[in-house]
Amino acid sequence: MKKKLFFECIILLLGAIIIFIVSTHDAFLYKQSILQVTRVEQGKTFKSSDEYGNHDKKTDQTVYGILLNSKKKGEKFKFQNTYTASGGLSQKYQKGQQLFVTLNHDNGKFEVTPLNYKRDTYLFMMCWIMVCLLFMVMKIDGVRTIISVLINFVLFLIIVQLDVSWNITNFFIIFAVSAIIFTAITLAIIVGINRQFVVTFAAIFSGTALALLISVGVMWLTQDNGMHYEALDFATQQPKQLFLSATLIGLLGTVMDAATDIVSTLFELKRSQPEVSFQQLYRSGREVGKDIMGPLINVLLLIFFAETFTMAVLYFRTKNTIGYTFSWTMSLGLLQAVISGIGIALVIPAASLFAAWSLERSRA
Amino acid sequence: MNTIMALIIILALLMILSGGRRGLSAFFTLIVNFGLLFLTVILIAGGFPPVFVMMFTGISILAIIIYVGNNNESQTNTAFISTLLVLAVMILLIIPMNYLMQIYGFSNEQSEEIEAFNVAIGVNFASIAIATTILSTLGAIAEAAIAVASGMEEIIEQGAAKTAQELRTSGRNIGLQIMGMTFNTLFFGMFGGNLALFILISKLDASFGYYANSKIFASETMLVIYAAISVVLVIWVTIEITVFKTNKGNNPKKS
Repeated sequence: MKKKLFFECIILLLGAIIIFIVSTHDAFLYKQSILQVTRVEQGKTFKSSDEYGNHDKKTDQTVYGILLNSKKKGEKFKFQNTYTASGGLSQKYQKGQQLFVTLNHDNGKFEVTPLNYKRDTYLFMMCWIMVCLLFMVMKIDGVRTIISVLINFVLFLIIVQLDVSWNITNFFIIFAVSAIIFTAITLAIIVGINRQFVVTFAAIFSGTALALLISVGVMWLTQDNGMHYEALDFATQQPKQLFLSATLIGLLGTVMDAATDIVSTLFELKRSQPEVSFQQLYRSGREVGKDIMGPLINVLLLIFFAETFTMAVLYFRTKNTIGYTFSWTMSLGLLQAVISGIGIALVIPAASLFAAWSLERSRA
Repeated sequence: MNTIMALIIILALLMILSGGRRGLSAFFTLIVNFGLLFLTVILIAGGFPPVFVMMFTGISILAIIIYVGNNNESQTNTAFISTLLVLAVMILLIIPMNYLMQIYGFSNEQSEEIEAFNVAIGVNFASIAIATTILSTLGAIAEAAIAVASGMEEIIEQGAAKTAQELRTSGRNIGLQIMGMTFNTLFFGMFGGNLALFILISKLDASFGYYANSKIFASETMLVIYAAISVVLVIWVTIEITVFKTNKGNNPKKS
């Protein structure tokens, strides 16, 4: 046991080292030019302040580096950079870092402008650490769960691509259909294709659809009072539809979680006690639901809400009121969590009812 | 009436209808956690060090999720201790990684939204990023810890596992089931919630290099990876603590 753990740790470290060496020397794979910083000259530091009394520091630096790829490979370049101490948008460059740059042709002389920091080394290493950890704790089954997430991820990218290339007005339909496909595939991987699949699927479908219908109904009745869909980050399509699509996909995971938990518990109960009645099954389902409801809704609250923090701090620091900051940065995240909560609260009775009903019918 | 208020009231009603008294207490934890999160933002904006504020609210949030609505003291204590341990490990992991990857502040893709602002506002964006990353994974950690702890408690009570190794194996089976669904919850929550971003990236005809290196995509991916790592860790730690406690209880010489 101890020996095996030692062996696994060696493999983890070895893999990490290989990934590090390969990905710090992968510049030839990129079309974009990559600059390795060889020397940095720190310049002057200026104090800056804005009309709200925020004090910050700006520092100039001259960055020297050598190109690692493209036709100017091996040539030396330098550029000027200014960074703020807080680091909102700018970045302090240091010796040894690799950056993506653009090569500009200017009066016969080539110049570089920094574009993006190279992050792939650490991203790949963290992926590797995650897979190793999964394997060490959960053995091969753990790696299998990652595969179901990967399948969903690839599917997700394909659907997004379809949405962009079709560019239809009512694009919500694309995501509604894709939500059904996601549910079917995830359930097929986790519970297999059997009666349990049908019951779980029906519960998820009705819970999610009902939650969205209620939400859209309330939005219509209250005439979107207080909502700023245009505050949705990165929106390139009609914001309200985009928000609803994102909410639908976001809530799918938790609703699936709740439904599979309840349905599999009830099927298990029936297997161990074949004589259990409809009422007992239904009640047990509701009990399981009560256990998981609170933690699940909190999971989503934390996911959706924490992501808005950086923007909210920017609003507060520039002396916006609490109400204004809330409605422009946080309200959409909160609403996503609330709609997901409605979905969870609805799927609990639905899953209990469908499972109890299906198990009852099988006995008759 | 305000749309959000109307939907919050509907959520409260549905939670009570669906869960009775425990539904009400679950709704109460939501409100308190929301208040704590809001307080976090205000304190950070007020100039308090983000990581310390996060540790204070994070531990409170964990305690609320774990202790409110769960009555079995031994399993909630196990869950709470293991989430605290994992929280500490994640802080130690995220601080250096965040520095190495330079993921904080705003991305180029957001420049349009923050055009009107001067972002030199004298806060430490790196610490804010660390605080929000950890906060966003806490819910998933707490949920997994409770589920494993109560599932293993059930097995111990039924007397289904006799040796420590058997208990570990059944703990792992429970953990595996929970993990599969939790990963999906995290994936859909984090990526689905950011649908608009993915559409934007797709419109930009991004290359693989863009996905592997851009600040915004790397930060979203890292969020899912951190969450996955912390969920696996918390399952493992909860199993080990339960096994340790059971062994201690079974061995009269030690107690």
